[in-house]
Formats: sequence, C-alpha cells, structure tokens
Amino acid sequence: MKKTIILSSIFLLGFLNSCTVVKEYEKVNLNDPDMVLGDKPVDRFEINAQAYREAASGANGGKTGGGCGCN
Amino acid sequence: MKNLFSLFIILFSATIFAQDSTSTYKKRVLEAPEVDFLASYYSQDGENAAVSGGIGTEKLTDLTPTIVVAIPLNDDDVLTIDAGVSAYTSASSSNIDPFDSGQADPFVASSGASSSDVWFGGNINYSHSNDSRNDILSAKVSVSSEFDYFSFGFGGTYTKLFNEKNTEVSVHANVYLDTWKLLYPIELRESSNFIGLDKKNRNSYSLGFGFSQILSKKLQGMLSLDLVQQQGLLSTPFQRVYFSDSPDRFRQNFQLADDIERLPETRFKTAIGGRLNYFINEMFVLRTYYRYYFDDWGITSHTASVEVPIKITDKFTLYPSYRFYNQTAADYFYPYETALSSYEFYTSDYDLSEFSANQYGFGISYTDIFTKLKLANFGLKSVDLKYDYYKRDTGLHYSLISAGFKFIGN
Repeated sequence: MKKTIILSSIFLLGFLNSCTVVKEYEKVNLNDPDMVLGDKPVDRFEINAQAYREAASGANGGKTGGGCGCN
Repeated sequence: MKNLFSLFIILFSATIFAQDSTSTYKKRVLEAPEVDFLASYYSQDGENAAVSGGIGTEKLTDLTPTIVVAIPLNDDDVLTIDAGVSAYTSASSSNIDPFDSGQADPFVASSGASSSDVWFGGNINYSHSNDSRNDILSAKVSVSSEFDYFSFGFGGTYTKLFNEKNTEVSVHANVYLDTWKLLYPIELRESSNFIGLDKKNRNSYSLGFGFSQILSKKLQGMLSLDLVQQQGLLSTPFQRVYFSDSPDRFRQNFQLADDIERLPETRFKTAIGGRLNYFINEMFVLRTYYRYYFDDWGITSHTASVEVPIKITDKFTLYPSYRFYNQTAADYFYPYETALSSYEFYTSDYDLSEFSANQYGFGISYTDIFTKLKLANFGLKSVDLKYDYYKRDTGLHYSLISAGFKFIGN
C-alpha cells in the first residue's frame, strides 16, 4: 500500500509539470499517425497474448483484469 | 438618422450572420463510418503445462477473427461495436481428461472435449464529445463467453483536454463480473478425498488515470496508473498440483493429481506506465514504453519496449520492435513436486513463476489516404501485417501473426 501511495504521488507530480504550449498549426509532426500515444488496432492480439501469458497486466492500454480466465 | 438606422441594421445583420456561421460549423468527431477487419494466428509451445502440475506440453494454437465498426451518430457521438471469436486448440487443457483415448501422457495431447474451445466476445462503446472537443465521455458494456467461463463487464472513461490541447487527463473505471464453470481434473472428480471449490465468481474492479503532455513540436509523452482489485475465484479449477510429501500415483504414463491449485481470494494490482514518442524526421519515429507493476501476491515486473516506425514511401511503413519483460514469482508458486500438502496456497502455473521474456516484432503497414480501392460503399484506408516472436527463459515460446484491414465509408 505504501508503494502504491508513493507511485501515485510520483504520477500526480506529472500534472504539475506544465510545458511549452505548441499551437495547432505547429503540430504537424505530432499529428503523424505513428506519434499516437496508444496502440494500433492490430496490436490488440499481442496485448491479449501477453495478458494471458504474464502475471502483470494494466497500464498498457489493454485489459486490466477480468474478462478472461487469465492472470 | 435614417442613415444611422440603416448602418445599425447592416451591422446587426452582419453580427447575426457571423454568429450563425461560427455556431453552425463543427467538425465531426468521426467523419464517416469505419470498419476494421482484424485477425490473428497464435501458436505456442512449452513444457511446463499448468494443467499437468508444471510438467507437460503447452502446445496451443488460436485463430481470432474480429470486426470493429465505428459509426458516427451525429457530429458529437460515436458508437463502436466490437465483436470477435477465438477458436483454440490446447494440448494442455486436453489433459483435463487425459484418459479418453490412447496412452495418457502429460507430453501428449488428448483428443477429448477439452482439447478445443471457442471464445466469443463483444463490446459496445458509446462516446460523446462536447462542442469544443475538450471533454469526452464514454461508456462501455462487454460480454464474453467460453465453455467454462462467462464475463460481463461495464465501465466508463472521462477525458479532459486543455492547455490548447497540449495536455490531456483521463480517468477510467471498469467492472468485470465473471463466472467460472467448475471443471476439475478427471481423476479428482472421482476422488472422495478431494475438496472442491466453494466459489465460482471472479469480480474485478479497475480504476485508471492517464496524463499525456506535448513536450515539444516533436516530443510527447504519457503517464498512466492502473489500480485493480480482484476477488473471488482467482485460481483455475483444472490446474493440477503435485506435492513433494505425497506418494506419486500413475495411471498409464500420467501422474494423478494430489490437488488443484489453491490461491487467495483477493488480489490487488498496481501498474504505472509511461510512453514517450519522438518524431526524429520524416522517415523515423521513436516510440518507447516502460511499465512497472506489483501486486500483493509478491509479483513485481518490469516491461520496456521500443518501436521505430520507418516510412519507406508515402504509403508503406515498416515497424521493427523489441520488448523486454520480467517478473518475480508469486509467493504461492512451486515447481513440480515442491509444494507441501500442509501449505494453504500453491500453484505450479509457470505464468506465475519468475521469468524473463524477449519479444521481437516486425510489421508492415500500407496506407492510402485517398481510399482508392473500393469495396461496396467503403474504401480501403490501410492494411497492417505484423509478426511477433516471444520467448521466455523458462522455455515457453510463441509466434503471433496479426493482420488488420481498415475501411472507411464514402
């Protein structure tokens, strides 16, 4: 539990960090499809296989427990 | 006075016109319906099957066709329907009953009913964006079913963008209410000493937070935190355990179970992850990911991955990738014949053992933004093909071939 609180605090610190504002017209590189901060639809099978074969799931955009008889 | 009145009318009309023109234009969240056809073929092998107490074949194949349809209901709302089937054959689960034909052996697949199964799953997601597109609410309902497992889930996500869409925060919550059909190893069903499980439900509650930030014109990152509480039947009813202090009993070449795995009825998981994507130049992008995980069963794990998309033409992109994963063993993990019958909890499932794994991937993507290739009223937007090879230091390895075809409605 102590570990959870420490990690949660580190996570929340990120919210305090405000960076330079990039304007819409300057986002041409950031809008590249490969810059998306997530997985492509075709990656779901890889995430699913890992959820079955590994004990750790969560924080990867995939299943976070439940919905399958996996770990 | 008359001129002044005319000028006022003209200005007032212009104001109304201006207001009308700005309030009626709103970019749709999704311009047209989208259909994704996805499929995968998975092939696995290893020699530490949990069904036969940590020894035996883990050969398994799985074919998974899936369809995802996203429909814009209006300018702000999108309905997404996702449905899939997973048809698998498993040598290890065939050995829930290894005596149905031929010589029973943990390293040989049996031909009984449990050698194959079909999983059906689907979910419906509804999302609503406000006029500024800075607030997004979504709700989801999911159902999945296979012979011995049924799951019903629901959840929601709230996403807030601000700082000129440079910063995004989100919170999501999901509940899964799952039910097992208690299927024990065949020899224990006939045993008078065996004590069955008294629970068959598994409930999972997850709460997640996301924070993403644009850091420069070429760099953006994300942090995510997931907290998961599980309770109920967290073990698998047909996974055998052999004790070191019990005599070995065999029928043919198959060792009869001393018990099934027994695990606690609660588990709390915490995972924190981060992504950092950097646009190197028109040809290369660097995508990185790291995650740290721990739970109250004694498992900690690290995951790190890197992918470097390479645009070789305006239509084709290559995706080489590497992923490293390791985990410590659960407190209740014991290899074959090392647990004592006096222990409260035990399992010989190598998915809960200590191991490291390497995964190498290679993908290729074709994108046609003009969707020239037509199929009925839909145009082909992209094709993705990917191959992954995964190997654990415990011996288990698998190959995964994935494919995706995206069509956009005209």
